[in-house]
Amino acid sequence: MIQKKICLIGASGVGKTSLIAKFVHSMFSDKYLTTVGVKIDKKTVSVDGAEVMLMIWDLEGDDEYQRLQTSYLRGTSGYLLVADGTRQITLDQAIEIQGRVAAATGPVPFLLALNKSDLASQWEIDQSRMDDLTARGWKPFQTSAKEGAGVEEAFVELSRQMIHPH
Amino acid sequence: MQRGVPDPTEDFEELRRLLLSREREQLRDLSDRLSDKQRRSRDIASVLPEAVKMSRERGEQLTQALRPAVEVSFKQSIDQRPQLFVDALHPLIGPIVRKSVAETLRRLLQSFNQTLEHTFSWRGLKWRWEALRTGRSFAEVVMLRSLVYRVEQLFLIHRETSLSLLHVSADATLSKDSDMVAGMLSAIQDFARDSFSTGEDSNLEEFRVGELQVWIAPGRHAYLAAVIRGNPSLELRPTLEETIETVHVLKGSALAEFKGDAAAFESLRPELESCLRAQYAPVKKEGKSTRAWIVIILIAALATAGLILWFRNHSKWKDFLHRLRAQPGLVVTEARKGWFGRAEVRGLRDASAPDPAAIAREANVDPARIRFHWNDFLALDPASVRRRFEQRFPVPEQTRVGINNGVLEIAGSVPYEWLERVRREATLIPGVKSVVETGANIIYDPELARKRFEQQLGLLDTVNAVVANGVLTLTGEASHRWLLRARAAATTLPGITSLNDHVVDLDQRAFDQSKSIIESAFVYFLTDKDDIATEGFAALSRLPDEIRRCEKAAKQIGTDVTLEIHGYADAVGTESRNADLRQRRANKVRDFLVSCGFEPARLKPIGAEQPFKPAPGDKATPEQAQRRVAFKVVAQPSTPAP
Repeated sequence: MIQKKICLIGASGVGKTSLIAKFVHSMFSDKYLTTVGVKIDKKTVSVDGAEVMLMIWDLEGDDEYQRLQTSYLRGTSGYLLVADGTRQITLDQAIEIQGRVAAATGPVPFLLALNKSDLASQWEIDQSRMDDLTARGWKPFQTSAKEGAGVEEAFVELSRQMIHPH
Repeated sequence: MQRGVPDPTEDFEELRRLLLSREREQLRDLSDRLSDKQRRSRDIASVLPEAVKMSRERGEQLTQALRPAVEVSFKQSIDQRPQLFVDALHPLIGPIVRKSVAETLRRLLQSFNQTLEHTFSWRGLKWRWEALRTGRSFAEVVMLRSLVYRVEQLFLIHRETSLSLLHVSADATLSKDSDMVAGMLSAIQDFARDSFSTGEDSNLEEFRVGELQVWIAPGRHAYLAAVIRGNPSLELRPTLEETIETVHVLKGSALAEFKGDAAAFESLRPELESCLRAQYAPVKKEGKSTRAWIVIILIAALATAGLILWFRNHSKWKDFLHRLRAQPGLVVTEARKGWFGRAEVRGLRDASAPDPAAIAREANVDPARIRFHWNDFLALDPASVRRRFEQRFPVPEQTRVGINNGVLEIAGSVPYEWLERVRREATLIPGVKSVVETGANIIYDPELARKRFEQQLGLLDTVNAVVANGVLTLTGEASHRWLLRARAAATTLPGITSLNDHVVDLDQRAFDQSKSIIESAFVYFLTDKDDIATEGFAALSRLPDEIRRCEKAAKQIGTDVTLEIHGYADAVGTESRNADLRQRRANKVRDFLVSCGFEPARLKPIGAEQPFKPAPGDKATPEQAQRRVAFKVVAQPSTPAP
């Protein structure tokens, strides 16, 4: 089975850890995030009939107090950029982080997940922003850690891009 | 002379020939190369390696294009010529398998030795208690407590991607999710490097958690992480480093081009497993080892003794059963013997058969430990019949006995009395139909022969009987009748072939005496008269009693008696007168005796024609001598009564 390392990246509080909690096989507790700064989980997805085992490096949220440790990005085959759809600022941070990550990893596939899609009333990402993202060539996925919507699809799509790069 | 106008077409051709002759040559040459198959193949062969190399650098397209054809070709080759692949793979797989097996055996033996060494020591008992308390196996506790170090797990981790390439473990239960552990190990290294800014080339070489240490042997593309319990010896590190170097030598390009498929590194398992080492604390030679050996030897000795004992008992038991089955009259239908409890023997037993308990004792088996269940039956085999016969008729020493188809054959020296009993009763024994005594020499006991004679004739105090060499010698005195019976019966009795008779016949003697008395009696007459003289009366008066005694005795000896009465007369007077006188004198006495009651037919008066011849010592005077009547007793065998 093919193994791939991917990273889960985003600002603090966007729900990265919650996003994957229901979908992965985990053996380490969340306290690793605050100690080592990373927690590794495992998830197997099926992409076009082939099984792919994803080693998911859940990196500690990037904010003014804690900078992203780029060494954890080494060797990653792709990454999931997570932003909170109810807080527009996290999208800005995600864009900023993506710039740093791309500089560290080089051109590897990534996906933007706009999380907390279940909180539609508080949604802050408007259509113009979405158009802006599309113009960047990004394909944002709306996900809900609470309801599980879009999570599996995001991982599968990211895996597909890693296996069949354009 | 006038030159004609030149043809422009020719000029153009000439010009083209002059200008393009070199290119034409090249075109021709190219055309030849393309049409010549052999040349074209040679050209392709010269550029093919370079082309393949360039193609690989550009991507996987060539590999993907070739894969189906190579796979089909490979499969066909294996199907058609498997031996070729066996031969090719043998040098590679053989050492790997041998190494793996040897390593497994070594670890097993080491673990066993550790367990054995500590089983019987005081410390071993403590560890046994710990095993009970903690629920671990004893071997596990021994291993943990006597362990110096043990490499429990080994991770081969791709340096760039932090993905686990291979994971080996000394104990399958120790393995957690190796992929995630590998990832976290990498993360920890990154964390350490980032936290302390040691630089990209620096490595976290080891860290310790409780009893565990993690040693890391870095390589260019991958590194080894060894999880070690205890305190490893320093020589372990070079081993790990050599191993990671070997990994790079064997799989360098695969590591460099790793895209996530770890299957290619499975073949490195033997190399990694060789690093799963363990070292145990040396055990003091004296004490525990000695005790262990003593206990082992003791157990072995006990086991050997038990085995010998069992074998001996089993042999005895088999011998006993063999003897039992060999016995005529015993049929064993079931025999069972366990380790404990009493053995059981079931079967059929003839009454004449020997006691099975005695047979058990002969075979050195304690009969008290056997429960016999016998049902009665009648055995008709010759041996059982013979034994039954011998129990009833103990066979004398010189006598030989055999049973053949129910016929009892007797031979040798056979005592008459024993034989007589056998003749009477042998056929009453089941299995004996008849008795044959051909060739038997019958022996008679003289004393028993004598007793038989006495029983036959009745005991007489006056007779002494002795039997010797078949001759019955009789002495003493007996009645005539008894003697006759004895003479008649003696030689008919077994053991008496002849009779030596020295017995006085009492009846004969009485007869002879009476006869003698009568014949010596004289009745004297007066001269020339038939009157009885005075002295003649005395003799005459005694005569009747004597005649009766004589008749009685004669009767006893089986004779009839006639009494001849001879009358005599002296020579005085004429002969005719004297003849008359002699007859009258005889008649006178007869008349007297008839008057006494005697039967006249038994009295025969005779006038003697010859003068009486006196016997020597006769006291009669010559005158008296011829004037007398004398008697003669004539005995004749008595005629049986009609």
